[in-house]
Amino acid sequence: MAKTGLDGHWRGPTIVARALRDAGFEVIMIGMANTDDIVRAAVDEDVDLVGLNVGGHIDVAIRAVNSVQEARPEVPIFAGGTVPPRSVKMLQDLGVEVYPPGSQLADIVDAAQRLTATR
Amino acid sequence: MKKQDANLVIETTSGIELKAYYTPDDVPPAHRSRARQAPGEAPYHRGFHPTGYRSKPWRIFQLSGFGKPEDENERIKFLLKNGETGFIMEHDRNTADHCYNVDHPEVLARREDVGLTGAVMQSVRDMAICLDGLPVDTSFGHAGGAVVQHAPFALAGYWTVARKRGYDLSRIAGTGQSDFNLTYLGCVTKQQIPTDAGLRFNADIIEFCAEHLPRWVPVSIAGYNAADTGLTPDQELGALFANAVEYLDEIKRRQNMPLEFAAKGCGGVSFRASIHLFEEAAKMRAARLMWSDLLQSRYGLTDPKTANLRIHCVTAGSRMTYQQPLNNIVRGTVMAMAAVLGGVQSLGVSGYDEALSIPSEHAHQMSVRIQQILQEETNLCAVTDPLGGSYYVETLTATLVEKAWAFFEQIQQQGGYLASLDSGWLHAQASENQYKEFMAMESGQQNVVGVTCATEDETPFHVDGFMGTDDAFDVALERLKDIRRSRHEAGANAALKNLEAVCRSDRNIMPAMLDALESDVTLGEIGDVYREVFGDWNTPIQT
Amino acid sequence: MSAICEQVDAALAGSRPALARLLSIAERSGPELLEIEDRISARVGNALVVGVTGPPGAGKSTLINALLPHALKDFDGVGVLAVDPSSPFSDGAILGDRVRMQGGEYGSSVFIRSMASRGELGGLARAASTAMRLMDACGWSLIIIETLGIGQVELDVMNLADTTLVVLNPGWGDTIQANKAGLTEAGDVFVINKADKPGADVTRTDLLESLSLLNREPPPPVCQSTASTGDGVAELWTALRDHQDYLEQSGQLDSARAHKQQLLVRRTITHQLTHEVERLMDSDLATSMLDQSTLGQLDLRQTVDRLLRELARPRG
Repeated sequence: MAKTGLDGHWRGPTIVARALRDAGFEVIMIGMANTDDIVRAAVDEDVDLVGLNVGGHIDVAIRAVNSVQEARPEVPIFAGGTVPPRSVKMLQDLGVEVYPPGSQLADIVDAAQRLTATR
Repeated sequence: MKKQDANLVIETTSGIELKAYYTPDDVPPAHRSRARQAPGEAPYHRGFHPTGYRSKPWRIFQLSGFGKPEDENERIKFLLKNGETGFIMEHDRNTADHCYNVDHPEVLARREDVGLTGAVMQSVRDMAICLDGLPVDTSFGHAGGAVVQHAPFALAGYWTVARKRGYDLSRIAGTGQSDFNLTYLGCVTKQQIPTDAGLRFNADIIEFCAEHLPRWVPVSIAGYNAADTGLTPDQELGALFANAVEYLDEIKRRQNMPLEFAAKGCGGVSFRASIHLFEEAAKMRAARLMWSDLLQSRYGLTDPKTANLRIHCVTAGSRMTYQQPLNNIVRGTVMAMAAVLGGVQSLGVSGYDEALSIPSEHAHQMSVRIQQILQEETNLCAVTDPLGGSYYVETLTATLVEKAWAFFEQIQQQGGYLASLDSGWLHAQASENQYKEFMAMESGQQNVVGVTCATEDETPFHVDGFMGTDDAFDVALERLKDIRRSRHEAGANAALKNLEAVCRSDRNIMPAMLDALESDVTLGEIGDVYREVFGDWNTPIQT
Repeated sequence: MSAICEQVDAALAGSRPALARLLSIAERSGPELLEIEDRISARVGNALVVGVTGPPGAGKSTLINALLPHALKDFDGVGVLAVDPSSPFSDGAILGDRVRMQGGEYGSSVFIRSMASRGELGGLARAASTAMRLMDACGWSLIIIETLGIGQVELDVMNLADTTLVVLNPGWGDTIQANKAGLTEAGDVFVINKADKPGADVTRTDLLESLSLLNREPPPPVCQSTASTGDGVAELWTALRDHQDYLEQSGQLDSARAHKQQLLVRRTITHQLTHEVERLMDSDLATSMLDQSTLGQLDLRQTVDRLLRELARPRG
């Protein structure tokens, strides 16, 4: 679970991490992380799923998504955060599941279970 | 709304159980005589001025800024033209919060983000562009500097621009923020000076302002940031005053200035106004009462001028929904009313697009319009403390005071406010509340219109987030190169060396910071000095 | 060649993804473990292992992060294994060490891996042991293992280390009485981190007193550091190196490693046995015997003897 931006709102990622832990996931929090940090963690930790908290400019998130997909093409990515509808669409086009503010935690946990079911 | 069981237990956010109606007997005995007092009488829960908003309406004060300094300048002028009565400079958070220049690797890695959360200001030249033509002499300005390590730079920049424009600093009114709740609790940064260094910065700013800028509010403790991180209203109050005593105790220890001045300096605070109307209004009343009590009991200060707690209020950003954003105009109005009924001095209303992006011009205008409607059309300004004497509100006020002091005591038992940040204890409290709040929505116990119920949306008005400008990074990088090329290098180096020496000493940081800004030293260079001298705060992660 | 062996060979040839994958397999403690151990055994034994333990919030991750630049002067690659507890309710975990330990600035010369403790009974130590040996075999010449020093399981992990560093804070004596003895016995080097906070001197005196009761020869060094500013970290690194030199010169490194090998064998046997017992208890034989035992047709001794014989019977 990483936060792509440098603006430090931690609200979303901590709540989601907690819900995932309570559903039995091992959640590796890497905090504010740039693309290289995210890719390094995704590879070295041999993760099954990447969660991105994105905010700010969508190009930053897209760069992280592209790099993770290049390094670990088989690993699904889901994202949440302050993402306006048109950016949601851009991420979805890359195969990322997006959970904007107001999403239900239960849906996020379901998604994590579904996305990792075959792994 | 569905019909509810009349015996259902309903609680406020602070966990105060509510009765179906209140009578005089519900008001706690110790509070009954206070309820009969008039505004202007200690302990001031009813306000400091009998004539309230009749003589001075609240200041319409909106957070604003993005892009290049000239974009921010334009937006501030737009807001002033639309009726804002003070202005806030917002600095780009990527660079400002971390004291990085735009060519820092962490910023380069996110160059598109630059300018999205405020204007990029790496030197006094940038601040001069942002402040161009703005009424720094006649209006109340907010220099930015929300995060502790950024505040000395932001303040020194603002003051240097004002001085260069020929104004006498002793006559300039305004504020920065330099808030611990934001820096160490609400929006924890990737890199930050440790809390003890932060305390030193704030005490330096308080002392410097007492001597040179008597009309300036040196630091502004923001309960807002504690509340939007999850602290309940009683906890928000308790944490805010626990923070204030850290500042005052430090000033007292230093013995460089009279404590009354310091108390005045700490007495400009901000709170969050959330959606539980009466509890939030009661919170503002409780805050004034607590401040007056605290100054008297802990420091022996009784002068009404010192006890005058001035409250800036911002509506709860986290309450604004992503779905059906126009509903947020109503939420903003209700939260604004909570603040106004509580008698605050200054108010910012979140944009209706808050959950999507920074405010668009239209959302910003709407935030101003909400306040203008309240001021011009509703007669809300006619009567001071209109809730005074309500059995319900007086009971809430007294109960909040009691609960808030209990939380204040809990913080003291953790070793004080700073220690409770260092250990992560406060983060754990906030996180627990947030989780509960989330679960209440999840279970349907707390409905959110347009999100958990009433989700049909027929709006013809499409809101898709405001994305600022796309040349902020390029221009900032160009200007950074330009300042390095054109400044007097030896002078800048000497000023930076001197700043470093001061940081290593116990001398006040502000004179050296003003020299550094005057000498065109840049933000990132100052940040490098901090990182070298103070190191990095050890973030207490919640696991 | 089996898929596992191919993975191991790729990891040994320097593939980070392959090493990462194998570490996941090791964490699951499945039957592939022995296969991995077989394949790497010839390459293991070159790394120095430093264990870092101490109470929650002592600043272990920050301290390791601060040690990295010093360590990279003496070692060309540093592997870090950061262990955090699993939730006893959900088996999930939140692993936060990477927040303080990005290692990004050191590029490919640092490999950080988070690991959840996943229950107890030595399982952690076994997974950590294989993980450590994997990193060792893949050429990570210094390996740092971080665990919470809160219970026997965590301290057990410290048996894997050549040098154990115990991280404490000022005021330590007042807050954790429970495992004080365990921690003082576990450490080869001690550091009072956050030494800029009040009470560092009292804690130092208190610690030296506790250590003197143990009569260890030579007495373990007690350092002071402020990881957030880097103060004292270079000196701490020197103390860790001195301990390693001492181990080598005194021959203790070899005897300690022999002891570790014995522990490893013992743990592996226990682990295999546990698997076998589980399998046995699920068998038809065990089910029917349990039924008879419940009805009083067999006594406990008869039941156990019969099942033990079954366990010892060679399977074809």
